[in-house]
Amino acid sequence: MKSPKNLSAAFPSLIASLKGYDLQPPPPTVIALNRVTYGATSALTEQVTKRGLGDYLEEQLHPKNEDERVVRKLSEATLPIKYNDKDGNPLVDEVRSLRLIDAPLSELWKLNNKDANLPYAEKIRALEEVRVASWLRAVYSPWQLREVMTEFWHNHFNVNASDQKISTVFPVYDRDVIRKNCFGNFRVFLEDVSKSAAMLYYLDNFTSKASPANENYARELFELHTLGSDFYFNNLYNRWRDVPGATAGKPVGYIDEDVYEAARAFTGWTVADGASSGKDKLPDTGEFYYYDGWHDNYQKRILGTEIEPNQPALSDGHLALDLVAHHPATAKHLCKKLCIRFISDQPPQSVVEGAVKVWIQHQKSPDQIGQTLRYILNTKEFAATWGQKVKRPFHLMVSMLRATQAEITPNQGLTGQLSQMGYLHYSWQTPTGHPDVMDYWLSSNSMIARWNVASSLLSVSPNNRIAAYDFARFVPPGMDKPQDLSRFWIDRVLQKKKTPDFEQAMIDFLRGDGKADQSIPADKLNNRLSGFIALLTMTPDFQLI
Amino acid sequence: MKRREFIIGCSAAIAAMAGSRITGYSFAPDGSPGNILIYVFLRGGCDGLNLVAPVNDPNYIANRTADVRVTDSGDTEGLSLGNGLAGLDFRLHKKTSALKELYDSNALAIIHAAGLTNGTRSHFDAMDLIERGSLQNKTLNEGWLTRFLKSVPAAPEGNNIASVAIGTVMPTSFLGSNGTLAISNLNDYKLRGDKRYASILQSLYTGNSLLDEAAQNALTSVAEINNQLPKDVTNTPMPYVPENNVKYPESPLAKSLQTLAQLIKMETGLRVASVDYGGWDTHEHQQGAFANLADGLSTALGAFYNDISHHQKRVTLLVMSEFGRRLKSNKSNGTDHGHGNVMLVLGGEVKGGKMYGTWPGLENEQLDNHVDLAVTTDYRHVLSEILLKRMANPKLGYIFPGYKDYKPLNFLNGNALQIDYNNAK
Repeated sequence: MKSPKNLSAAFPSLIASLKGYDLQPPPPTVIALNRVTYGATSALTEQVTKRGLGDYLEEQLHPKNEDERVVRKLSEATLPIKYNDKDGNPLVDEVRSLRLIDAPLSELWKLNNKDANLPYAEKIRALEEVRVASWLRAVYSPWQLREVMTEFWHNHFNVNASDQKISTVFPVYDRDVIRKNCFGNFRVFLEDVSKSAAMLYYLDNFTSKASPANENYARELFELHTLGSDFYFNNLYNRWRDVPGATAGKPVGYIDEDVYEAARAFTGWTVADGASSGKDKLPDTGEFYYYDGWHDNYQKRILGTEIEPNQPALSDGHLALDLVAHHPATAKHLCKKLCIRFISDQPPQSVVEGAVKVWIQHQKSPDQIGQTLRYILNTKEFAATWGQKVKRPFHLMVSMLRATQAEITPNQGLTGQLSQMGYLHYSWQTPTGHPDVMDYWLSSNSMIARWNVASSLLSVSPNNRIAAYDFARFVPPGMDKPQDLSRFWIDRVLQKKKTPDFEQAMIDFLRGDGKADQSIPADKLNNRLSGFIALLTMTPDFQLI
Repeated sequence: MKRREFIIGCSAAIAAMAGSRITGYSFAPDGSPGNILIYVFLRGGCDGLNLVAPVNDPNYIANRTADVRVTDSGDTEGLSLGNGLAGLDFRLHKKTSALKELYDSNALAIIHAAGLTNGTRSHFDAMDLIERGSLQNKTLNEGWLTRFLKSVPAAPEGNNIASVAIGTVMPTSFLGSNGTLAISNLNDYKLRGDKRYASILQSLYTGNSLLDEAAQNALTSVAEINNQLPKDVTNTPMPYVPENNVKYPESPLAKSLQTLAQLIKMETGLRVASVDYGGWDTHEHQQGAFANLADGLSTALGAFYNDISHHQKRVTLLVMSEFGRRLKSNKSNGTDHGHGNVMLVLGGEVKGGKMYGTWPGLENEQLDNHVDLAVTTDYRHVLSEILLKRMANPKLGYIFPGYKDYKPLNFLNGNALQIDYNNAK
């Protein structure tokens, strides 16, 4: 193939100077911060180094209300909305502030009013507002771990909010289900999810009636939300006695019959969406609703536990949630997932096991998840590895914005940039959520998109409506030479020592046709730096965590 | 760090320069353009009993409301197929007239009651196992297409892009294949910004980690594709114009297949491509959703096949899903996860216009676990026949670990090779 030679020929001095490029981990504090935040800014690293990482982590586990800056950013944020009437004439073309993220369900539910028959753009607005709020919080919130955990749980309890019905209730899901429980108790969390309109719609339980029940929610409850498919004995199908431990009431895993029976337990769990059933009509509030007429009230057996027929309302479902939430396999599944998120794709078994102990010990604690996280983040293995994970696309983009302390005004275009890298922000179609392992994010297409996003996101062109940069503002007074500027920004963006070869190559890049000690004119500084800083974020050093 | 297989005796940098990452299988041993396998995966468990349906089977009629069933008359009347199975009246879903045309012109073969013989009803496990080419082992670190690529007979060198996943990301069937590209749109497959970025990235990503290899692969393929794209006088890539006045429908599947047609015609040495088509998880109100999906599949395949009219002989396109759905519909007017399913094979050397496989029947005791269509044809038989007769690769034991009882259905022209059940490459 000829092309690589052509590439080298384009910039020979640089290639020569980078021969044997040496990739080294950053200091442990930086590694840790890059895992519990959306990017260790140099200011944050300095602050945490002074006061101690332990203190910082402890504080992060007990987040307070949003600080003033985030509140202001949220109140100032706007998004355009535009759509035509039935004849194609412009009906709405305006810029609106975020009105839906804090709205109560009763307000959001009006978007579904059948008489109003609102267009897609109005309904999908709720999702778009949550996305904007996520960007602003991820970039600016001092409570970074809460944002990281919110993303973790959105992914674990994935719903695809680009479905307009789910979009309209998505602010409630984000705020009152995911954010509210992200450091809380898993059993409580699970029930909040199971009763949320977003999940009832997404996994179809809202239409599940006896009989046959709709199995969608029950299957993913076992397979993805709780025990995980490592504990699925598909070959046993209906032979529950053959599951190890089953006859003693402690089956180690689940079978298809458990899914069928659990699906029956959740029949009648629905959304009060005004649906008609025979002579009855459900209320039309968007709240969770139990409709006894749809419930399968006969006896069931779930995970080796017999359930008598004709139990009180909701009792079958509550018991099913108890059984799966408190199952040891669930502890293993969830703790492994947390360790994969915070340590590496192949986390040390000892850390997973330690986390499982804490998880089970705090089964009834209101801060079960926070306790488990505290354990994981305080192990010596946390922050001991580096380079075995890449930043996922949202993390990558937010860390670019944090490293440059950009003033951002998010818009819908960001969603498209994420999707180029394979990240579908609150729109992942299947209930697995995005994979959390390195392989997945490294296709040729997404690699190119990861680099392209750097040059487009960090552009200082006035057409760029996503963020405003003033790189010059951070440069120490009097610093205007490529060699000094290059070192300054390497320290700031990469936060690690680099080899002289790398430094030289970066200086060469920044100086372009000029000399290393020749001043860059003040009026050209921002422009020159934007391309240079974009390059720094394209390096393996910035992409890896 | 997990490292990919490294090219022995050849440094990473040299390998990249020589283009060795994009492995060379572009041409048949005689130097002619090779055959092409296209693997279309319907994600989410397509209801095969609603795509190709035994409309006069009394159990089919009894277990499903007309909403989730193809019928022999009325609003849901299907398109009748000749040469069905077991003397039944098999019909295609009414929204698949392009598939019916392909079947009637003998380009499309239909294999029913096929699938993964492992009884999992989990989408993700079933996809994982099928894509890794295994019955049980979810931890194999390569996909079946990767092992296919690694074991295909050597071919003369040339500029080539042998394997491509159409889309943003890489499906599991290509897991561990460091030479496979993911591409969604050829004309947009380029590095933006400062012209110097490409060369400096080339020198920064030089190790043999996953990240380094992905980066090198991306850089070399971007340059390669940009070299090959037809350009106008201003050196701008020209928009793609399909043959035969074909108009692709506006859908992600159609866009994917159009990209593929463009790649095939660029003669970059394509051997294997995968295409995903999601959204088949129809647990509720299946009727409308399924009709749209079936229409999307049919019109896109019809357009693609017409567009590649000069290359049809080289192409074998397989359509499959992780499993079919429950025979009995649920109270949400949908269907839950099932077992046996239909597979479609399209191509110039397909003995089409015929249904293949063994129909197991839909009586309660004929069903798998009394609920789902039984699997009478292991999906690996179908893939193997394509490998043996069209792709010149007999290494079934290596590609599908543990597999040893290949049964030809004879839906393809071509001479089967001596089968190699050895588990080594």
